[in-house]
Amino acid sequence: MASIVQCPGYKAFGLQILSEFPLPELPRTDQPGMLGSISVVEADLSERWESIPKITASLGTAENEVMFIVKDTAVFSIQNGSKITVSPVEHADPASIRLFILGSCMGVLLMQKGILALHGSSLVLDNKAYALVGRSGAGKSTLASYLMDQGHLLVSDDVIPVLVHNGTPLAVPGYPQQKLWQQSLDYLGMNSSAFRPLFQRETKFAVPVHDRFQTEPLSLAGIFELAVSQQDGPVTLEPISGLERFHTLYNHTYQKALVDRIGVREWHFGMLASFVGRLPMYRLTRPEQGFSAAQQTSLIFETITQKVEEMNL
Amino acid sequence: MNMNTAEVLSLESVLVQREGNIASDMDGEKVMLNVQNGKYYNLGEVGGEIWEALASPVSIGQIAGIIQEMFEVPEELARQDVFEFVQSLLNEDLVAIVSGP
Repeated sequence: MASIVQCPGYKAFGLQILSEFPLPELPRTDQPGMLGSISVVEADLSERWESIPKITASLGTAENEVMFIVKDTAVFSIQNGSKITVSPVEHADPASIRLFILGSCMGVLLMQKGILALHGSSLVLDNKAYALVGRSGAGKSTLASYLMDQGHLLVSDDVIPVLVHNGTPLAVPGYPQQKLWQQSLDYLGMNSSAFRPLFQRETKFAVPVHDRFQTEPLSLAGIFELAVSQQDGPVTLEPISGLERFHTLYNHTYQKALVDRIGVREWHFGMLASFVGRLPMYRLTRPEQGFSAAQQTSLIFETITQKVEEMNL
Repeated sequence: MNMNTAEVLSLESVLVQREGNIASDMDGEKVMLNVQNGKYYNLGEVGGEIWEALASPVSIGQIAGIIQEMFEVPEELARQDVFEFVQSLLNEDLVAIVSGP
């Protein structure tokens, strides 16, 4: 039997990942991460899948365990925030399996560890981390790419782990790749949204960004929710205030459908309450037509600068 | 269910929290999520204490007593605050009347 200790260790999401599956996207490490070490192993899960109580046809949960099945790919089990077990279908595409290990499985695992994960990209702007969240198609990755072209570092793409310490949120780096994987992302929350034709197009992109990657956690200083307006007009920015912030963060929680399904709503709400009152949040609305990344960027920096000036007064 | 409850609330009215609400502390204020309707509420500091008191059936008079002592306010003011706040909880269907008047 393969021993975990001999597996190569990878670094992502603040974790050391000891994996029997090669994860070539990830940098190597022999150190436990700030959030500890986890293992990814291969095993036959067919019996376990039969016996676990099902929430939907493709999702099951038991105490400390979430399982899901992806047709033509694999059965996955995530346990105790420490172990991911994969039972691949014969001839399954390894890239597709990786997609689910690093997306859906990681989202569940972070939740089991009591770490909030937001769905979006985070970047270093003015020496602090800012998250870009928004619905699919809102333009998160376009704006993130634009900002990276301008020299700003990527902290995390798609899954943003957020650690809260004494009411201060910290954005934990993902791994140095910018990629859209709607398929993985929507899988567990799925239903009709999983079948949007868009994801076929979006899953094509995987851009390594080793030279533009923030490797250490950074204080999360704000959130920009990207929105699209049907009307023509300039890019606008407005603060999101009061209780609407809860709603915004809930909406952009990675795999939010699971928050209720695996019974962690109370933890999730308490987690948001511990910092939401102190985290600036803005809605950045762009017109549907045309390229507005440059306009969005200047509004973002205007806002950040203004905020910093206010704090220094 | 809660039609025109304004008139029937009295110091003897006994109320209790309805189920399905998650409350948490946010910088000293009590915030709450109603899981059914997905609405968020900020109950504030005093409201948070009133909400806590309603965890098990309790009369308006008893709650007013708790508030009066905790925030060192005159009896009349405490009662008025509690009446008003409980009324708004009733309007939002967050609490139920166990017995009245």
